[in-house]
Amino acid sequence: MALKVYADRMSQPSRAVLIFCKINGIDFEEIRVDVLKNKQYSPEYKAINPMSRVPAIVDGRFKLFESHAILIYICCAFPGVASHWYPADIFKRSKIQSVLDWHHSNLRSGTVGLVFNTILAPRNGLPSNPQAAKEGEKLLVKSLSKLEGFWLKDGRFLVGSSQPSIADISLVCEIMQLELLSEKDHDRILSPYKKVIQWIEDTKRATAPHFDEVHEFLFKAQKRIREQMATESVKHELKSKL
Amino acid sequence: MTLKVYCDRMSQPSRAILIFCKMNGIDFEEVHIDILNNQQHTPEYKAINPMSQVPTIVDGDFTLFESHSILIYLSCKYPGVASHWYPSDLIERAKVHSVLDWHHANLRRGSVGVIMNNVLLPLNGLPSNPQAAEEAEKTLVKALTVLETFWLKDGPFLTGRSQPSIADLNLVSEVMELQLLNEKEHDRILSPFKKVLQWVEDTKSATAPYFEEIHGVLYKASKEFRELIAAKSATNE
Repeated sequence: MALKVYADRMSQPSRAVLIFCKINGIDFEEIRVDVLKNKQYSPEYKAINPMSRVPAIVDGRFKLFESHAILIYICCAFPGVASHWYPADIFKRSKIQSVLDWHHSNLRSGTVGLVFNTILAPRNGLPSNPQAAKEGEKLLVKSLSKLEGFWLKDGRFLVGSSQPSIADISLVCEIMQLELLSEKDHDRILSPYKKVIQWIEDTKRATAPHFDEVHEFLFKAQKRIREQMATESVKHELKSKL
Repeated sequence: MTLKVYCDRMSQPSRAILIFCKMNGIDFEEVHIDILNNQQHTPEYKAINPMSQVPTIVDGDFTLFESHSILIYLSCKYPGVASHWYPSDLIERAKVHSVLDWHHANLRRGSVGVIMNNVLLPLNGLPSNPQAAEEAEKTLVKALTVLETFWLKDGPFLTGRSQPSIADLNLVSEVMELQLLNEKEHDRILSPFKKVLQWVEDTKSATAPYFEEIHGVLYKASKEFRELIAAKSATNE
């Protein structure tokens, strides 16, 4: 029975797991759980993951959620996964674990706070919190500075590695979510961070062609959102002139 | 050179590591970093951990922070650590990873938010944000519910285990931080969660006598804070 990956390509950790499986030639079935349509709350999905979050995997009878735990499990359970993704050396492995842990309350928390409250919530009729968006951006910028000045200081990839690990895929997929912001905001926030920008390119290249393919869905959403925003701003300008 | 553990016993993840090292007879030096007096922001400490957080370990040339990573590292590096702390079976290990990951944005986020708004801000004479306090309590109660009905449904310890893992140490230390609340609030929030309360007791017993010894600083602070906050609100009235 093939591995089942329950995912939504709008979800950063879902994309990380999909890209990882594809780059390592793992035989799996992708099952879409449409988060913007609340499919994660259906009884069928709650039976897979009672937390109602994506991604989740089912491997035979074993169910697992939390993307970092999933990535580590796949590294260890499936043959043919190159060792640089999750090195056996205890020192390297611990460093990778530490950046994965740091991620939750820093880069992820900042990105989610900003993108949810400025883009996803207003565009989907959900309540948004401007204060939370402001705090999200503050935390995001602090996290990007830490990536630039610390996590990427010793090598092309996180924690001084010359080859990517599961941490690079996880964190780069998170930063890609910022593509949902307006072009102006995206560039304003990211452009000071030259190492971060280079690292995103390096990670894309190391996981080509799957990185771009898995991110197509996000870019389609970006196009739709930016077109809507452009139409709204034209309408707003006309209104103020009348 | 002995392992150095930079920590503050007021910090939940610091306590998890201290208890773990003592339980497993790991030879280490505890270096106190006083977080209530901002010692984590000194240049000396920033040179060890640029994130200015505790705990951090230094093992020879190797520096590591983030308590989950530290616990995993110690489990793998030091001989004599019983295997139930970090199981070698892939599936058991994956479940331990998943609850440790879940912890960050759920129990930890809720608990830290509640303590900040209900204890630390009033203690420092600062206004707390009622909306933030409400959201933090909501997150905490949701996390306690998930512990009660899911993580503890199949066994005395997390993820259905019959013996504690590093996840139990870490998450119980988090729940213990709620001792800083006043007694009425602490009981109001925790008393509905019978399995959680039992699990805290089971983890204490499994790590006796170190659990109580390491939590001594927290119990003392809890008493002091309750008296201070009561005095402040009497003055206000």
